[in-house]
Amino acid sequence: MAGVASPDLDLDVDLETDLTAAPPASWQTVVWNDPVNLMSYVTHIFRTYFGYDAATANRLMLAVHHDGHAVVARGPREVMEAHVQAMHDFGLWATVRKDPA
Amino acid sequence: MSERVVVLEISGLEALHLAGIVGQFRDLLADSRAGEDPAVERLLPDAYPDDAAASREFRRLTGGDLLERRSQDVATVLHTLGLDGADLDPESDPDATIAVALGETEALAWMRTLSALRLVMATRLGIQNDDDHDPEDPRYGVYDWIGYRLDGLVATLDRA
Repeated sequence: MAGVASPDLDLDVDLETDLTAAPPASWQTVVWNDPVNLMSYVTHIFRTYFGYDAATANRLMLAVHHDGHAVVARGPREVMEAHVQAMHDFGLWATVRKDPA
Repeated sequence: MSERVVVLEISGLEALHLAGIVGQFRDLLADSRAGEDPAVERLLPDAYPDDAAASREFRRLTGGDLLERRSQDVATVLHTLGLDGADLDPESDPDATIAVALGETEALAWMRTLSALRLVMATRLGIQNDDDHDPEDPRYGVYDWIGYRLDGLVATLDRA
């Protein structure tokens, strides 16, 4: 799974000042609603793959269903890409994006 | 990983139908032009909806593995159905129940395959909204039946 993201290097960055800057940008795994995947199946995957408890998995599934999408994980880009690949394995419509916050 | 966690009970006729559909899916995955098929495209969605280049790169790095795992899943389903290559015994009763015992990894392969079959069928049927359904079209019957089986498998796994 490693090596999926291309290094996000800015060679012009002054390392000394950069150390005091904000922590590395966080990324998100987003799952989108689709008319095919069953609610029970989506909940099951959230619970078993991400390890969410039943209530959290169900809440995230309902967010996907009613709001059209939900952020199911946050973290480094490489980890989010691994999650998205796993979601695609399950047939879920998942994407990676930079945390807008 | 071979401990048996789930036993699926399906009729011989169902098993035969399912093996037929899964076999068609296997052929679709094996087709060298699969990448241009909208149903296969649905199995490899854009990881970066606003960045076509990043999506292409992601698909280039992960797409082959994903389709390979799909093929392995399909082989697992056919194997556990006992129908990989062999036809059902013509003397057997098609209504008799077959018990399919699945370990954890096999159950995962079944879940992913049933879900993928629905995605492929939905693409073929042009399903875009929750209420797209045509009771007159027998393909929806198959689509619903696969959903019913997937839902049952998930419920069984949730109880296990």
